[in-house]
Amino acid sequence: MLPLPRFAWQAPDTLHGLLDAAARPGARILAGGTDLLPSMKHRLHRPSLLVSARRLPELAAIYEDGDDLCIGAFATLRAVRRHPVVRAELPALADACATVATPTIQAMGTLGGNLCLDTRCAFYNQPEGWRQALGGCLKADGDVCHVARKGAGCYAAHSADTVPVLWLLGARARIAGRRGTREVPVSELYDGADGRRWLRLEPGEVLTHVLVPRRGAPVVHHKVRLRASIDYAALLVAVRREGSGARAVISAVGPAPVEVRAARAEELPDLAHARVKPLGTHVVSTAWRRHMVRVAVRRALDACPVP
Amino acid sequence: MSGAGHRGGGVTDFSTYLGPEDTLAGRPAEGGIVGRSGLASGTGKVDGPPKVTGAAVYTADLRLPRMAHAKLLRSPHAHARILAIDAAEALAMPGVLAVLTGADLPGRHGPIPVARDETALAVDKVRYRGEPVACVAAVDEATAREALARVRVDYEPLPAVFTLDEALDPGSPAIHEHLARKAARTGRSPNVLRRVHQSFGDPDAGFAEADLVMEESYFYPGSTHVPLEPHAALAAPEPGGRLRVWTSTQNPHSVHRTIAAVLGLDPAAVRLTKPEVGGGYGGKCDTFVTELCASALALRLGRPVRLALEREEVFYAHRGRHPTRMRVKMGLKADGRITALELEALANGGAYASYGVVTAYYLGVFGTLPYRLDHYRFTATRVYTNLPPCGPKRGHGAIQPRFAIELHLDRMAHALGLDPAEVRLRNAVEPNTVTVNGLRVTSVGLRECVERVVEASGYRDKRGRLGPGRGVGLAASAYMSGALHPTYANEGPHSMVQVKVDRSGRVTILSGTADIGQGSNHMLATVVAERLGIEPADCTVVEADTDLTPVDLGSYSSRVTFMAGNAALQAAERVRKRLVSAVSAELGCDPADLVLRGRRVFVRDEPDRGVDWRRAIALAEAEAGALGAMGSYRPPRIGNRFRRQSVGPSPAYSFTAQVAEVSVDLETGEVRVEHVWCAHDLGRVLHPEIAAGQIEGCVYMGVGEALLEEQAYRDGLLRAPSLLEYRVPTVHETPAIHPILVESHDPEGPFGAKEVGEGPQLGTVPAIAAAIHDATGAWLTAPPYTPDKVLAALRRRGVR
Ligand SMILES: Cc1cc2nc3c(=O)[nH]c(=O)nc-3n(C[C@H](O)[C@H](O)[C@H](O)COP(=O)(O)OP(=O)(O)OC[C@H]3O[C@@H](n4cnc5c(N)ncnc54)[C@H](O)[C@@H]3O)c2cc1C
Ligand code: SF4
Repeated sequence: MLPLPRFAWQAPDTLHGLLDAAARPGARILAGGTDLLPSMKHRLHRPSLLVSARRLPELAAIYEDGDDLCIGAFATLRAVRRHPVVRAELPALADACATVATPTIQAMGTLGGNLCLDTRCAFYNQPEGWRQALGGCLKADGDVCHVARKGAGCYAAHSADTVPVLWLLGARARIAGRRGTREVPVSELYDGADGRRWLRLEPGEVLTHVLVPRRGAPVVHHKVRLRASIDYAALLVAVRREGSGARAVISAVGPAPVEVRAARAEELPDLAHARVKPLGTHVVSTAWRRHMVRVAVRRALDACPVP
Repeated sequence: MSGAGHRGGGVTDFSTYLGPEDTLAGRPAEGGIVGRSGLASGTGKVDGPPKVTGAAVYTADLRLPRMAHAKLLRSPHAHARILAIDAAEALAMPGVLAVLTGADLPGRHGPIPVARDETALAVDKVRYRGEPVACVAAVDEATAREALARVRVDYEPLPAVFTLDEALDPGSPAIHEHLARKAARTGRSPNVLRRVHQSFGDPDAGFAEADLVMEESYFYPGSTHVPLEPHAALAAPEPGGRLRVWTSTQNPHSVHRTIAAVLGLDPAAVRLTKPEVGGGYGGKCDTFVTELCASALALRLGRPVRLALEREEVFYAHRGRHPTRMRVKMGLKADGRITALELEALANGGAYASYGVVTAYYLGVFGTLPYRLDHYRFTATRVYTNLPPCGPKRGHGAIQPRFAIELHLDRMAHALGLDPAEVRLRNAVEPNTVTVNGLRVTSVGLRECVERVVEASGYRDKRGRLGPGRGVGLAASAYMSGALHPTYANEGPHSMVQVKVDRSGRVTILSGTADIGQGSNHMLATVVAERLGIEPADCTVVEADTDLTPVDLGSYSSRVTFMAGNAALQAAERVRKRLVSAVSAELGCDPADLVLRGRRVFVRDEPDRGVDWRRAIALAEAEAGALGAMGSYRPPRIGNRFRRQSVGPSPAYSFTAQVAEVSVDLETGEVRVEHVWCAHDLGRVLHPEIAAGQIEGCVYMGVGEALLEEQAYRDGLLRAPSLLEYRVPTVHETPAIHPILVESHDPEGPFGAKEVGEGPQLGTVPAIAAAIHDATGAWLTAPPYTPDKVLAALRRRGVR
């Protein structure tokens, strides 16, 4: 068994208390823990305090709010996937929740946790002893990048299944901090420059809600992986047609998803292929992932109804 | 039903082959497997419910008062000299009880006496990344783990050897010093563990006779077993200076001997028990650091010590499939008859020998089955590299060459325009023959296997006709039912079983076998109950406890049903004789007229003239005292025409034919195995569901090796030491598996039974490879068939 490092745990019963606790040095939000706890077992993070929202059920609620569906950040992927409005009006979001890990992990993991999922890399998401044998890397305990030895940054891949879909649906993230609350489009939540600083949250800020517009053209979610379950994406694609054009959001290729637009939908696969260059962050072949950019975008487009 | 494979409407048709009615009809009431004795009618597996509910107790579940916990420090270097180890800081930590290093347990061990090259912890040198260097015991697991970081080891890195070519280079750095001296004399590479060369008949004349000779190269990758349960051991000092050890092992006897030898103990002072085991597949045949360090620490500390591996560490313990490069040359007549075969195999064995000497033989010796060959030669070489040690994995040493030979045969059949199924039938080895390399073959069900699988799958209608991207492929194979020769020289039986009968009617079967989930306890109860006319449910099986159970060599080389089954049968027969003698005296009838059945002993054709089971026991006890018997099995002394053929021969061989149906996405290279029909000749079915489960397990493992699995390294560092990235198939990747049970009634097997636990895997990968060819026109010679490789092959062929 891999033991967890020692840490303190708190579950405040007011939002104010949650934000206070989250702002303490060394604190981290614990949602479903399906990413955080395994990473702590690998000694990738050593938070001194885990802050849980389990006493704040309103942050796990899902309700209709005018033209939006408002999803509490701590709603589980299963709850999102099964919600009647999601199933009826936002099927791509249900599809994306359903490709995360396994049904058991979907029952624990949350939508907010998925939006805040750490970037991933075959040289980083590994046990401690393994990483020590390698000498670590820029993202943890080392000073070289094994993916791009000459590069100055980290290229770890954004791998959250729900993000490309939420991005194209025009979803917004509601973020609370001790200085107030702000709303950011999901498309502006991520920074592709460095896999160590991919998430635009200030220290102590907590994602509280995800607001998803209920109307709009349909989106298609397409995940490429070697195994149909328990497998992170080799490539993530979401597409949406807009008039005669189309947009794709492609992920699992770098620290942030990449958006590609085409004035004519049929040009989207080639444009995506030209634009998106996967790196060796995966065990799965890089050349194949690159080949799959065009195929996956085209197949997703084929599955996407013309408005 | 064991059922992961029963997806997509697949039919599991074994029940129709040995339903109770089928077997009852036309078979003798006694001495034959009959439905009502529970086995053939498919009583559930006795260990099923506790495993499903979580009640089963595995080694890592055991807790003893004052139990300490141990953790291992592992080498970050692939090859390095250990200059110094300083454990003072760790020992000073509160809660830390002891630190062991290689110097504490210097005894060399290994499962094969001629190649004992391993120590519990590295001594002087580390030979692979992940090799255990020190072992810390503490009051709890977290403390032991924290203390690992405070054990300071000074290393002097050495140049490392990873690939076959590097290892074969005479200039390569020696991984084992004693071989360096020999290499300096001979001018050969110091990293060859064993090279076996054998030639039979006149291969050159055979090739000259052929209408077509083809020669090609193949590569079979390394893979690991992935048992659900990681290795674990618990050891405790006992009064009188004895030591108790509980461990997750397939080989209690061998581990028992090794612990005693390495710790310098009298084996009689060690009691070894195997609790429930969550799978082995060959990965728990060796003696591991868990057993040796837990034992040494328990004696040193005078308290129980538990050492359980983490999943990552199971990948370092390894002993998995040898990555093997092969060259196959075969001659065929225009009608498909094989005139000669030549095989060269080079296996990358990692840092220690494990069973590698045996592997080298297996790579070559089984080349002569399942086809008749008059001319055969092979060279098999097993080298050392600075990687975790390879060893036996399901289908040990036979999987790789069978893959290459079957695919090669398919290619040649294709080149000659012949039906691959017909080619297999034309070459099928005949019963009661001796192969050119001296393997004595008795029962053979190969023809029936090929015919049944061809019919069930529609192979002949489908081959070449399913359209682009879809195809079928066929392969055949044979495997042993235990080895004729034990792993260490001794004249004793390979299996011994004791049957003890209580006045209550309860029968206790004591056996040193290791049930590791494969169902050997069920097999023992079945065999004994069948002979005594009672139900398996009337039996208690006590297994794998060296103080209680007679020796059995262990669960490897598919030997248990054949050997322990025969020993159990002999013990039961001795008990039966006692019962029959006493009851015939009571009834005043001829003992030969008595039948044991339905918990009664009665006169044949006069069911009312008899006594019930308890009365029969009472009569036997009254007549001649305590009722019980021992039985044993030693393989027949089959004359070897070839002196060196001490590794490979078996008392009986199983035969298999299978057909895979695949679809290939020509645009992405993704392969889906839709169906596998697998017909297996296991001699006699003792339990249809367990037998079908073994076939499903074999095919499942084959599908994993065909599509996904590879134990791959980057500079000696495992690429993926986790179940997330070392991908085994999920239910979604598992095809519909259709097991077909074929019976050839082996003259020497218990009730005619042979093996079913390994053989069915041999043909799965080549059948899938042949099916991919049928679907795409590409011959893929190196699994796993991940989409990138398939796509690259399609591009070379201009498909995309
Ligand atoms: C075997 C396995 C397979 C997996 N496969 C996939 C997969 O295929 N696709 C995929 O997308 N994910 C996968 N995951 C990752 C994970 O299960 C999901 O991403 C899940 O949605 C994470 O949610 P969580 O609630 O468990 O997050 P946690 O683990 O609790 O948190 C993840 C991170 O987000 C932070 N965080 C969580 N909530 C908030 C918040 N409201 N505000 C601010 N910060 C927050 C945490 O501090 C932490 O850093 C897998 C995990 C496992 C163990
Ligand atoms: S991309 Fe480079 S720096 Fe980032 S996690 Fe991977 S190896 Fe480390």
